[in-house]
Amino acid sequence: MREEFRLLVGLQDLDIMIKDMKDKVTTDELKNMGFKLEGLEELLTARTKLASKIPTALLNRYEKLAGHYKVAILPVSGNQCLGCFVKLPTSFFSSAYSHELLTCENCGRMLYIP
Amino acid sequence: MESRKLASFFEEDLCIFSLRSRKKSSVLQEMVRRLATAGRISDEHFIMEMLKNRESLGSTGLGMSVAFPHGRSLAIKKLTVLFARSAGGVDFEAQDGENTKIFFLILAPSDKGAEIYLALLSELIGIIQKPQKLEKLLTVKDYASLVAVLDGDE
Repeated sequence: MREEFRLLVGLQDLDIMIKDMKDKVTTDELKNMGFKLEGLEELLTARTKLASKIPTALLNRYEKLAGHYKVAILPVSGNQCLGCFVKLPTSFFSSAYSHELLTCENCGRMLYIP
Repeated sequence: MESRKLASFFEEDLCIFSLRSRKKSSVLQEMVRRLATAGRISDEHFIMEMLKNRESLGSTGLGMSVAFPHGRSLAIKKLTVLFARSAGGVDFEAQDGENTKIFFLILAPSDKGAEIYLALLSELIGIIQKPQKLEKLLTVKDYASLVAVLDGDE
């Protein structure tokens, strides 16, 4: 996988954790179980640092999709987009595209071939 | 949580009964490596980064010798649990300052909500709060005994 895809996937995982830490129901439940949840600022700093390594155009595209979907970037599996489950065209699986970041023509999510 | 027996979340190849690592980061790495070797995750790096970020919020070592590293990632397809035991214990920065000997690593896919792992986490915490069960978990040496402790009546 290309480095920029790796960074994007890492950013998405981090965004999901930040979202969980801002969700009162989730944090209350974790605290009731005994977990200490401090350091959201550290996560936000880590996010800023990670985002700064991603090319601006790609980051903007991700941010737009992330505002719309739970997951913006996904691996291709079983010839399907795992976001909208539409079957992908066979051209997707040509070796020419194996290292490219692809776009689902149906939902617009970013896809990569793992 | 669905009426699924707790032990059914555990798989024999995802149990480590004698961790070799003695440091927090290397214990996480050893567990993640096992998940990768067993083909349960698509990328070790993503899982390690996610777990380190989670630990930065506060150690998942709750005390009583038990830790519950957990989180969601794109690198995992379904709710997965790995059990690990360290006879000597590891400094996992636990809340009680004591070494951690039992680890329940819980991973969930990123396209599902946090509730997918919270219910399991809660049930496992219920187990370790039973002194007899905890005592047995601390010395469990094989998958059959682990299943017996998790689903046993006492």
